[in-house]
Amino acid sequence: MMSRPHPDHRILKTHRGIVLFILILLFSFGCVSSETKSSSIISPTKPSPPPEGKTTLPVFEFPVPQNAGEKNYLGVSGSGNCKVTQINTPVLIIEVFNMYCPHCQRSAPFVNDLFQTIQGRTDLKQKIKIIGIGIGNSPYEVDLFKKKYGILFPLFPDQDGSISKMLGASSTPTFIGAKINSDGTTEQFYFTSGELTDAANFLSEILKLSGLKQEDKQ
Amino acid sequence: MIKGKYVLSPWLFSVLLIFLGTVTVYAQSSSFKENIYPVEKLKHRDSVLTLKVGDSAPDFTLPAVEGGKITLSQYQEKKNVVISFVPAAWTPVCSGQWPGYNLAQDLFVKNDAILLGITVDNIPTLYSWTKQMCNPGEKLWFPVLSDFYPHGEVALKYGVLRSNGVSERALFVIDKKGTIRYIDVHDINQRPPLDALATALEKLNQ
Repeated sequence: MMSRPHPDHRILKTHRGIVLFILILLFSFGCVSSETKSSSIISPTKPSPPPEGKTTLPVFEFPVPQNAGEKNYLGVSGSGNCKVTQINTPVLIIEVFNMYCPHCQRSAPFVNDLFQTIQGRTDLKQKIKIIGIGIGNSPYEVDLFKKKYGILFPLFPDQDGSISKMLGASSTPTFIGAKINSDGTTEQFYFTSGELTDAANFLSEILKLSGLKQEDKQ
Repeated sequence: MIKGKYVLSPWLFSVLLIFLGTVTVYAQSSSFKENIYPVEKLKHRDSVLTLKVGDSAPDFTLPAVEGGKITLSQYQEKKNVVISFVPAAWTPVCSGQWPGYNLAQDLFVKNDAILLGITVDNIPTLYSWTKQMCNPGEKLWFPVLSDFYPHGEVALKYGVLRSNGVSERALFVIDKKGTIRYIDVHDINQRPPLDALATALEKLNQ
């Protein structure tokens, strides 16, 4: 025969029920917050797949740089426009930026680190090139950004946003990694929006995802 | 009975405190971009400009985010002044415009100009908003002023107060004599290119 519970025990059970209910609510809130955080603050070291299942890099055109050093870096010649697939590199990193964007401003020193690291390694400097596309920026604004941060890789204005739209980059900065094959075909293997805060990790991801073979580090 | 209640309360409190703490951490980590209020395309312009190039700039005094008040005429004979009215804090185009001017400080310095950023928002709102535009520990190099009360009084004086109580996206360049030398009441949906402002500033010295 079961004994009748003591009134104090019933209160304890009622309180435990309330506590359990509150805990479930709080856990749920915590999980939702956590999910929002991880999906909205994206680290460029955690790549996401290309948008809309894109596996190739949209072929856009940009003006051939007038600067001899930049021409040489990209391996392009002449004047007028050239296609992105004409850049002489197996792997291309594109940063879609905006001079006015604080996240791009904060990322700039880290992107410079990335460029200098690549240029300082003889096994990578001919295999990975970087360009920047300034969404909604005039040539004047791109030039200001370039001078302010001492950026040494080529930046191109995309004043009407048409290139950025082709690339599917709606927020800045967005980092895109693509392989450019010798037959002109491309493979986009990296697409992430968010501040760049660690150039070394970013480069490791690019190397891993692109499948570039590393030789002796310099 | 009473004993049971007292036994449970501290435990309940501890659990609540721990979990509320967790929730607060998540709330604090949301970034600038995610806090921008989405705005649909607006009527390009919704005010009637009452001033023209060559007019004397109406004087005003407004409270600044950094504390104290700023009066336009305090710069007379000392600095050229650029007034940048932007419609509202935490909205898309505005949130990108002043970080660009922050980066372009050299352009203003070179032309012996100070920039005054003005919105109809109150000081606490402007404090939070502008803080997010800079790296931790840094701040905008130019004063940000609140035209909150009497609401939009300065924007109205300059003929750039829209019917919904926010200002236009407008630039006024005022020389050291207090004369307006350049006006751009821009399409509210678009950021004015820096090139045009740079040209206007350079003309001040010609």
